[in-house]
Amino acid sequence: MTKKSGKMDRNNIGKWFKSPGNMGQKYSLHALYFCTGCGIIEIPPTITTRWDAERFGVIPVATPRQANLFLITGYVSVKTLRYIIRSYEQMPEPKYTVGFGSCPINGGMYWDSYNTIKHLDKYIPVDGWIAGCMPRPEAVFVAVTHLWTLIDKGMATGYLKYREHYAKYRRNQEKILGELEWPPLFSKEEENEKSREKVAG
Amino acid sequence: MVLVLQILFVSILACLVGLFLIGLSRKVTARIHWRYGPPLSQPFIDIVKWFSQTAVSHGKLFDAGMIFSLTGSVVVVLFLPFGGICPLSGSGGLLVILYLMLIAPLGIALSAGESANPHASIGVSRKMQLAFGYELSLLMILLSLMTYYRTVSIVDIVETQIQAGWSLVQLPLVVSGLAYLLIMPAIMGIRPFEMIQAPQEISSGPMAEYGGKFLAFATLQHAFNIYIGLSLFVNLFMGGGSNAGYFLIKLLLAFMVFQVVHAVWPRFRIEQAVRYLWRWPALLAFIGLIIVWVTTS
Amino acid sequence: MKLEILLAVFFGGSLLTYLLGKISKRARDILAVLVLLFATAGITSLYGKSSTATLYTGFLDFPMVLSIHPFAWIFALTIAVVGLCAVIFSWLYIRKKGRTDFFYFMMLLVIFSMIGIVLSGDFLSFYIFWEMMSWSTFLLISYNRGKAIAAGMKYIVMSVAGSLAMLVGMISLYTQTGTLVFEGISGSLNSASSGYLQFILILFFVAFGIKNAIWPLHVWLPPAHSEAPSPFSAVLSGVLIKIGTFGFILLIYGIIQVQVFVNLGHALFNVRNLLLLLGAVTILIPTFIALFQDDAKRLLAWSTVAQAGYIILGIAYGTSESLSGGTLHFFNHALFKSLLFMVVGAVEFRTNGVRDLNSLGGLIKKMPVTFVAGLIGVCGLIGVPLTNGFVSKWLIYHTLIVNHSPFLAFVALLGTWGTILYSYKLIHHIFLGQLPRKYEKLQAAPVSMKVPMIFLSLTVFVFGVLPGLPLHVINLSELGFGMEPLAINMWGVVTGSGSIQMLNIATALILGGIVLWLFFRMGPKNTRADQMDNYAAGAPVPADRYQYSVKFYDPLTRMIAPYLKDIADNFYSALARGIRNAGNGIRRIYTGDVGNYALYIILFLAILIFIQLYWKVW
Repeated sequence: MTKKSGKMDRNNIGKWFKSPGNMGQKYSLHALYFCTGCGIIEIPPTITTRWDAERFGVIPVATPRQANLFLITGYVSVKTLRYIIRSYEQMPEPKYTVGFGSCPINGGMYWDSYNTIKHLDKYIPVDGWIAGCMPRPEAVFVAVTHLWTLIDKGMATGYLKYREHYAKYRRNQEKILGELEWPPLFSKEEENEKSREKVAG
Repeated sequence: MVLVLQILFVSILACLVGLFLIGLSRKVTARIHWRYGPPLSQPFIDIVKWFSQTAVSHGKLFDAGMIFSLTGSVVVVLFLPFGGICPLSGSGGLLVILYLMLIAPLGIALSAGESANPHASIGVSRKMQLAFGYELSLLMILLSLMTYYRTVSIVDIVETQIQAGWSLVQLPLVVSGLAYLLIMPAIMGIRPFEMIQAPQEISSGPMAEYGGKFLAFATLQHAFNIYIGLSLFVNLFMGGGSNAGYFLIKLLLAFMVFQVVHAVWPRFRIEQAVRYLWRWPALLAFIGLIIVWVTTS
Repeated sequence: MKLEILLAVFFGGSLLTYLLGKISKRARDILAVLVLLFATAGITSLYGKSSTATLYTGFLDFPMVLSIHPFAWIFALTIAVVGLCAVIFSWLYIRKKGRTDFFYFMMLLVIFSMIGIVLSGDFLSFYIFWEMMSWSTFLLISYNRGKAIAAGMKYIVMSVAGSLAMLVGMISLYTQTGTLVFEGISGSLNSASSGYLQFILILFFVAFGIKNAIWPLHVWLPPAHSEAPSPFSAVLSGVLIKIGTFGFILLIYGIIQVQVFVNLGHALFNVRNLLLLLGAVTILIPTFIALFQDDAKRLLAWSTVAQAGYIILGIAYGTSESLSGGTLHFFNHALFKSLLFMVVGAVEFRTNGVRDLNSLGGLIKKMPVTFVAGLIGVCGLIGVPLTNGFVSKWLIYHTLIVNHSPFLAFVALLGTWGTILYSYKLIHHIFLGQLPRKYEKLQAAPVSMKVPMIFLSLTVFVFGVLPGLPLHVINLSELGFGMEPLAINMWGVVTGSGSIQMLNIATALILGGIVLWLFFRMGPKNTRADQMDNYAAGAPVPADRYQYSVKFYDPLTRMIAPYLKDIADNFYSALARGIRNAGNGIRRIYTGDVGNYALYIILFLAILIFIQLYWKVW
């Protein structure tokens, strides 16, 4: 019988020895909050006294280099997309992306806006969504517990997908942003091969 | 052989104590903020995570500076008496400790400089200025101690205190002790002197480009740094400890005092910090040094 | 080897170098190095010897004496080695500039007249070599023309003032003792009064203090160091100003005995306390001023002034530990400061004369060897353990603390912490941060520059781990001064109140470093990121503008700037203005017209007659 998903197994020493990497990733989610829109208003209560995300190891950090959880809170305009992609690429692996609110999912109330993008997962891989407009802070915790389950089962592999299909993602990015200022992240073909094997294995 | 065991024991224990104190600091701050707070093991979890992450490096010096910095911290720990144990007591005393304490920030500064990020440079610049601010007082305090006890050896200072009582309550040294209390948060880099990292203004300063195992190393270095700052204070002013348990209790006591300050204070700007450090603590330290100088000559 | 042969080869060699330059450039370069190699070998062979040789007796009945003793030996060797490195360094550096024959000639002349000063055994030869050194230095400082001429002018005016003070002192000593040979003077000064000794000391202190750049006499140094060609700056800062140090040690420990010196005059107001005070001020003020400098060489020049303060503090304190500290710091400073000037020189060479710290950056990617050399030099300057500056500074602090001078120790320690600030600024602004696009094609330093830099870095490191080597020689010289030497071993010093052992520190640091490096290697492999792949809040890095270096310590410097006016420089400028105005006034009287002069004479006579008629004085 498997454990109920989302249950906290932080003090399970055996699991720590079995898969320290996964356990570490689970209980130390350092989040980069990308404050694109109104969604950010729900984040301060989440991380401060009212809901205290720190008790689950979720804390905000300053730069993408230090983060492993990318939280995009709100609509994504074309202009911000550039910065989102850059930040995502600078995060160390493994990294998890969560879209917060309906706007990153399908455009939400900006579904017909000329300058927002409608589907974030066309440009960067997204491991989970929090639907709602606005989702409550509790929803963030639900998302975190779901993310734990995904990490446990080895399903939070958005970053590997990005490696594998980088050419496709890059094409999508360039379609909307024009030519990008930075060189491709994964240029070598063998690197793509390796990541494909990793996904298969 | 005994020496090797002592070295391993002291350095590993210092690391554990430092990490525990970081966890405790987060917990205590949370409780003061009326939060539940992370578990005490959170720093260990973080370190495990960082070691399982990839990271980018900006060059050889980026790696080497980090290693150099942690090495410096570990070696300082070996020079500090831990209860009755001081692995490298006979090689230079307080002056050497003062100089070895330079290596850690210097290593971080070089590594952060190599990262080619202006945020890191700003952080380092602030660190240098802050260090210059508190060293003014710290040097006078240490000199008053060395003048009072007529030695540069920290082991001798601890032993004299075990016989004659804490320096903090010796009459000529009490002013210096007060000054030390005032600069202690700056030495440990906690609020209100947290402007070096200042995640909200300069994107965590020198740490801006660190990720993965670099952050793990930086956190270990921070843990050692906290241990060193407290241990220096306990050894110099609170009589060290005749055994390790007693020493750790004193360490905890001193830590809680500064933790309360840390939890409720906002952050100084760098020039406010330097002005503060050069005014009150420096004045007290100077008076302390004069008192000691007059009473001992 | 005989001293007079050595000296003859030196000066013959330098002249030959000049002449050979007219025939073949390459031969001249090689000859200059060969002569210096010979000098180094010759001086090395004199290790541990103490002898005196009378060179010439006929000149105005003054004997000219050469002498060698361990104390002179360590100075002479340092001068020769630093000179050798600087000449090798200048091979390519000076080829860009032209007038190379003249440069080599003057360079060798400066080096050899310094060795001459160190080896001289009487004041006459001392003075002759001293003047040779001063004038050839002047010619080299103003080698670059332009601003350099003004810098050289400032130097030579102050230097001449110093020489005059020394001349007065010498004449006074001669009338008092009837001889100019050091040993003779030393023997007959025993009976001299305390007031006379202080008078002599002050006269010589003006001379040596100007060379050694003690605080109110330092004003020539910053412009001279920054305007001189870099290899010569290395010599200038590394050894030339230490000739003043040599003079101090010679005078205090060699001629006036140190016991006499320490007990001279009033308990509070005496020359020793004056010197200690000036030493402390010399550490403090220039350290702060160095923080403000944006010119790499000017920053190093101010740093040199500050480090000279440590040496003065060590020498004037007058214990055997402090003398060891001061002398060792001279030796160490010669190594790391000439290294740093070479590093800056190499950068200047490759970037076509850029010394402005704010317009450099990121050069570590292009000049890694130069960077490592600079880092080691800076570590030596700060005194990071395992580099040589650490031990010498430790000795100075220790003696100050143990002998109950906490305030002096405080100033010395604080100076070190200021040193960290400007040293990091130097390293960071030149080598770290973003590489500007204009330097993307920069080449590494040429081999002829790398070799002396690597050699000097190695010495900085070796003497940091094995301080016993130079301390052994210094102990010999202290024995020569009749002082009790320190208890040393290869790794450090043992004193009654605390000892220093580099063996423990070095083992701990190196082993700890290796262990942590292995630990670091165990983690996941990291990928290399370009400087353009950097955190800029998600935006692409703006090339050439993503650097923080201008006004690096602005909050701090803004606070201390009002207290740091260069009083001394302003004073001399005012003095110079005053003299010029007075000269203008006098020129109005001396018109050069004979009629006017006749008028003056008649007026003068008329006044005399008038006085005689009226008061009947005569």
